[in-house]
Amino acid sequence: MSAKPSKKTCVLVTGAGAPIGEALVRSLLDDSRIGHIVAVTGYHQDTFPIAPSKRLTVQSVDIGRNRHLHQLLFDTAKTLGVDTVIHTAMHLSATDEGQRVHAYNVDSVRNLMAHCERHPTIRRLIVRSASAVYQVQRDLPVLIGEEHPLNMSGHAPQWVRDRIEADVSACVRMGMSPLQIVVLRMAEVLAPGTGSQLFDYLESPVCFQPAGFDPMINLMTIDDAVEALSTAIHSNEQGVFNIPGADTLPLSTAIKRWGRIGLPAIDSVLTPLYRIRRRLTGHDFRYGMNRRWFIYSGVLDGQRAHEVLGYVPAKPIDWPVRKRVTSDIGRGSL
Amino acid sequence: MAFSPAIADAFAALFLDASSQSRIADLHFQDAGHGFDAFGMHPSFVALGEVVLAPLYDKYFRVRSWGHENIPSQGPAVLAANHSGNIPIDGMMLWLDVLRHTQPPRVARPIADHFVPSLPYLGTFFARGGMVGGSRGNARTLLNSGEMLMIFPEGVPGIVKPWSKRYQLQKFREGHAELAIRHQAPIVPIGVVGGEEQLPALFSSRRIGKLFGLPIMPVPAVPIPLPVRYHLYYGEPIPVHEEFKPEHADDPQAVKEVAARVQEAVQRLVHQGLSERTGIFE
Repeated sequence: MSAKPSKKTCVLVTGAGAPIGEALVRSLLDDSRIGHIVAVTGYHQDTFPIAPSKRLTVQSVDIGRNRHLHQLLFDTAKTLGVDTVIHTAMHLSATDEGQRVHAYNVDSVRNLMAHCERHPTIRRLIVRSASAVYQVQRDLPVLIGEEHPLNMSGHAPQWVRDRIEADVSACVRMGMSPLQIVVLRMAEVLAPGTGSQLFDYLESPVCFQPAGFDPMINLMTIDDAVEALSTAIHSNEQGVFNIPGADTLPLSTAIKRWGRIGLPAIDSVLTPLYRIRRRLTGHDFRYGMNRRWFIYSGVLDGQRAHEVLGYVPAKPIDWPVRKRVTSDIGRGSL
Repeated sequence: MAFSPAIADAFAALFLDASSQSRIADLHFQDAGHGFDAFGMHPSFVALGEVVLAPLYDKYFRVRSWGHENIPSQGPAVLAANHSGNIPIDGMMLWLDVLRHTQPPRVARPIADHFVPSLPYLGTFFARGGMVGGSRGNARTLLNSGEMLMIFPEGVPGIVKPWSKRYQLQKFREGHAELAIRHQAPIVPIGVVGGEEQLPALFSSRRIGKLFGLPIMPVPAVPIPLPVRYHLYYGEPIPVHEEFKPEHADDPQAVKEVAARVQEAVQRLVHQGLSERTGIFE
């Protein structure tokens, strides 16, 4: 792990309107090594919950549109001398599909890289990815290293495919690009508003599990996600890193600690059961998409992140996770 | 929930004597934060495993074992044994024997075939007792963290071999040798005698096995395993860590040589056991 020279880092954070991005911006405002922060949100900038300051510029940009992204980078970011971009924006809902979602999830990463490579001041791009990109199956290791196979199944829904495509798009430019590219494959952040499928699953008073299986899962808090992103900002290393959370536990224990009732059910009825729940209640959890994670254990191995970045998960989940109102999202400590 | 540690604890408190309970409390175990290790092992389920297996071990199969001093008391190690009997009772007896005869107690982590983790209930219960799926990554992680693996290098062909081939070892796979060299772990050869006669099979069918998600299904000649006596022989460790460097794991000749030595040592222990026993029930 090597430290940067003393010049203050100016950063641009996408997805700043979502809990992880917002918490990151708050953390960076408290970080004396950081100069100016450009917070990019998809919502109107007047609704941004952090008070304005001399070190903070809030911009409302649709990053799915290349022209908007270009203007952001070659106008605001260039003027402010941004040297590090942290891309945390991801479309959250697993139910939404289509070209627009793809543009937001994938094209934005490609365009961001293309612009950053030509940019006069940006030299480092940090992309937040997810553990959902990995394949889990019975003949693969429980502990998932960075070399673990990705879920390239043609049956995977767009939510998964987009994440893999964005991740791989960033990875293939490593070493070829003048940018330092860092991809952080994060464990599932168990918090509202983060797109966590498990959070949505646990919102039911009764949680059905495939009978006979109780896989080990790894979960993280927003605090640890922010810590990992901050660590990556202040490092000169590049590459792909698994970012595990501090909570490694069986699914049944997560259900129990949340105060829910776990009931076993035949695996084949769970997909239609949760489809009905989705349609009736508007919840986002898709069992079919998560099925393998509900049967086979899959725990991120954070050894590389520890050795190279110096990241160690330190903030376990405070069970049960407090459900926060929208205006409070990202402000509390999870 | 069937997999609750509280239920396992209740069973252990009811059926396990105080000394066994205190031994389990000293278990070498790497808690990942919620009482489980990253692979799902939990000390309460290890205790439950002892509760469930003890009657079989003590009363039914009346296990006898020799050479416990050859089991390393700490650090990475590979236990390599012959496999037999159509159902993996040999692995269970060995698991409990190691647990009872190591101080502080160690759990031999059985490396199971890929299909085992996908078996409902059984796969999870085995994982709670320390079993891991047979992937190279799992084995590597465990050895790196100083665990002791239990491997049956014959694999499925060993456990389902026909009666006419009993106690004739099938060709050893080489993965265990490569792992031991790469991770500088001694290999302890183990001869298991008794298992071959526990459940003679009329024949084995891949087609029937496929229906149950198994690679092969033996059709037994008897309805339940026979009360044969198990004899376990732990041989002197093969000091792979002293004779080879980790880079030799990429030398196919070195790996073959080690695998052959392990097979020879296991076969010798099996012959010793067969010559010393006076009958299959004795």
